Amino acid sequence: MTALDPPQTPESDLVARLRAGDEDAAHEFFDRYSARIRRFIANSLGRDADEADDILQETFISLADALPFFRGDSSLFTFACAIAHRKVLSFIRINARRARLIRAAPIAGDANPQPAGADREFRHALAELRPEYREVLLLKYVEEVGVSEIARILRLSDHAVESRLARARKALRKSMKEEYGH
Amino acid sequence: MDTETTEKIVARIKSAVEPAREVDDRDLRNTFAARLKTVAARPEVVPIEFNGRRLEVRRGGTLLGAAMKNGVRLMHVCGARTLCATCRVVVESGEDNLTQMSGAEKFSLRWHLSISPKTRLACQARVNGPVEVESVFPLCGDLPNG
Repeated sequence: MTALDPPQTPESDLVARLRAGDEDAAHEFFDRYSARIRRFIANSLGRDADEADDILQETFISLADALPFFRGDSSLFTFACAIAHRKVLSFIRINARRARLIRAAPIAGDANPQPAGADREFRHALAELRPEYREVLLLKYVEEVGVSEIARILRLSDHAVESRLARARKALRKSMKEEYGH
Repeated sequence: MDTETTEKIVARIKSAVEPAREVDDRDLRNTFAARLKTVAARPEVVPIEFNGRRLEVRRGGTLLGAAMKNGVRLMHVCGARTLCATCRVVVESGEDNLTQMSGAEKFSLRWHLSISPKTRLACQARVNGPVEVESVFPLCGDLPNG
């Protein structure tokens, strides 16, 4: 966002307009959040593929149903990610066998030419992490969501989220050391 | 890497992940807006998901009533009198959008050894907002023959 971009509507105003069913507010919500929601879905799945687009569609349909009843007790992004997370879990349950293959696939955006050396190794180690570890690391450090909000998305306690973050970082370090010796 | 601080790991994670790319799907954008407008215009109708199926139910009605009206043949052996707990459902999300559990419901669930806060009796739980629920028992018609 630059100084020339129109100022964003404060979230509280946007929530009020969404609850009222304002179509312009819906467009604004889509423009503001769809990219991040899609990235969250793709990284949760472990690949950037058609599945992410299908789940994004289901997520937005469910959001349209849920937003008029949204109480504003979390951020809009958290609310949306909580719905997206359930859709991803549902997809993984239904496609359990296929999901084992998906988990081994590269993380979102890996269709692009790979950076050389340590960066590629790190990306691979991140992609190889258990989905619940990768998910929590990306929410915390890429989406910059707070622990309490992560807890809401994943339906865990704050303590469980902190614990999972610590285990995720440890698993990532271990993976880098075992596979690449550093 | 075993000497790397968390800050370094964080920096590497951020650089490893692609920036979020714009979603160029005008159809989805418009469908989303239209559906939001429709749902908001009918506050007396609540969209719920029952066993993965999207239903529209009357606000304030029970989950069991909603299921039966929409052809979801949920078991309710005692006739919705809180006794049999065959109408048990697991609330996957939106538990705050259901009415609070009464003493009778709580007793019945415990009697049937169901103590998770996510489990409700569909004949008692009334809907005030979107919920996603899954039936505990197979639906009538899904039971094996014989």
